[in-house]
Amino acid sequence: MRETLATRLALLAPTQGLVLAVLVLPAMFLVWLSLHTSSFGINATWVGLANYTHILGDAYFWRALRNTAVLVLIVVHAELLLGLLMALLFAAGLPMRRLMLAVVLAPYAVSEVAAVVMWRYLFDPDVGHVAYALQAVGLPALDWAVNPTHGLVLVALLSVWLHLPFTFMILYAARLAVPMELYEAARIDGASGWQAFRRVTFPLILPAILIAALFRLIFAFRLFSEVWLLTGGGPARSTEVVAVYLYLEAFRYNAFGPAAATGWLMVLGSLLLAAPYLWRLARERARDAA
Amino acid sequence: MRRSLVRAGKLLAVAALLLWSLAPIGLILMASFKPERDIFAFPPRLGFTPTLEHYAALWQRWPEFFVALGNSLIVTVLATLLAVGASLCSGYAYSRFRGTWLEASAFGLIVVRLVPPIVCTLPLFPAVNALGLQDTHLVLALLYATFFVSLGTFVMRSFIDQIPRELDEAAAVDGAGRFTTLFRIIAPVAAQGMLAVAVFVIVYAWNEFLFAFIFTSTRAKTAPLVLAEIVGNFDGVEWGVLFAAASVQLAPVLIFVWAMQKYLVAGLTAGATKG
Repeated sequence: MRETLATRLALLAPTQGLVLAVLVLPAMFLVWLSLHTSSFGINATWVGLANYTHILGDAYFWRALRNTAVLVLIVVHAELLLGLLMALLFAAGLPMRRLMLAVVLAPYAVSEVAAVVMWRYLFDPDVGHVAYALQAVGLPALDWAVNPTHGLVLVALLSVWLHLPFTFMILYAARLAVPMELYEAARIDGASGWQAFRRVTFPLILPAILIAALFRLIFAFRLFSEVWLLTGGGPARSTEVVAVYLYLEAFRYNAFGPAAATGWLMVLGSLLLAAPYLWRLARERARDAA
Repeated sequence: MRRSLVRAGKLLAVAALLLWSLAPIGLILMASFKPERDIFAFPPRLGFTPTLEHYAALWQRWPEFFVALGNSLIVTVLATLLAVGASLCSGYAYSRFRGTWLEASAFGLIVVRLVPPIVCTLPLFPAVNALGLQDTHLVLALLYATFFVSLGTFVMRSFIDQIPRELDEAAAVDGAGRFTTLFRIIAPVAAQGMLAVAVFVIVYAWNEFLFAFIFTSTRAKTAPLVLAEIVGNFDGVEWGVLFAAASVQLAPVLIFVWAMQKYLVAGLTAGATKG
């Protein structure tokens, strides 16, 4: 079949056009913004790297970065562990499996705002059911509005709840793709349940675990809505994460330059996290094309 | 003995999963129909006289919430059409053609996924203002579509890869051009993939908060935004109205996800693990 270049370009134009206009060009403009002081991109003055030195000298930035790092590590690892346990449980056979699959997928449909309504209510010190239950067994209630640590704990819980269906589905699909014969062979060889997991399941689903980890690392790093809607970064800017810091710099303090510098650091951070994966992918593609 | 122990363990796990996944959703859905005094009863009361008073109060006090639901619907439909259409075309191109530039641009589509949404709001803010797109349905639809064309392209490619090329060739022999082939022959066969992409975009566009928060103010305000305002104006007393609003925002998309579960799972496995 004879193909003209025009057909290919026309087929790719909508997708690549959107990506170019919304992501690529703005990302370049962002570099420029980060090297200037400006008010929403207007009346710009060149300041070199001053914006970067400004945020790197800002204690609030470092606090936001630390909060983000702690949250990301806790949330992603909790999700991987729980998702893996659930995948194994579903694969081992569960009463009413189809129905249970619908049940565990439900949080995927919930918006961040609705989730905040739910969890705020559950943990409300005066009326919340979980708060009552904690009290009933003698545990202290979460003072999420007052105590920064408690606020971050609630943010982490909420994030895990919202994103566990995604992590679980990737791991479950990978587990289902492991051929049954391997388990039969392992059983004939006298392997225990743990040995079958350690020698068969785990090595075969490891790529899926890494992909799920990568996706969730990158997405958790962007965390904004949960924090913004739950604590707004407060009290006294103590629960800010990097995305909230960026938002406040840009749209509350009108510091577009430092905000752009923060943004560019976020892009670099994501790239760094994904670098090993991208490297492998680029090599595979080069091989396919050759 | 061991068998029944395993069985008991599984039942316990089922109970835990039900509690974890459904209790937060179920509690607010139920509470939205409860008279105010029953909402806070502990342990939660299952027997109560359902009332629509909170929904009536919501309708009276927050009429803009229902306008916002309409906006959400418009934006969601627009974004879905855009993202599915664009993904179909590019997924087809990546499935059928080979070449260094094509491979490079496919790789580029994966790299751009690393740009966080909050980061592109900064440079886009002045541009959107200059183009007069601030507070329009269009700007949200464009943004939402963009964040899913990458995943959508790879989902479509993996679905179209399974359609034999002979189908394209037969159509070409009959004198059909590439676009006729794509829309008349390929698209109907790849409908499952298009539905999978649509599920992702619809859930995202219906629920998204950040872009709506930054790029809309009155005319194009979406439902999550007004729900957040209701939360913000919350006086610590009228939980009922809050629950009613959250339920209205949540119910349609929850039913949709359950109805489309098959496609959601297919899309996740096709798009997330490959590409």
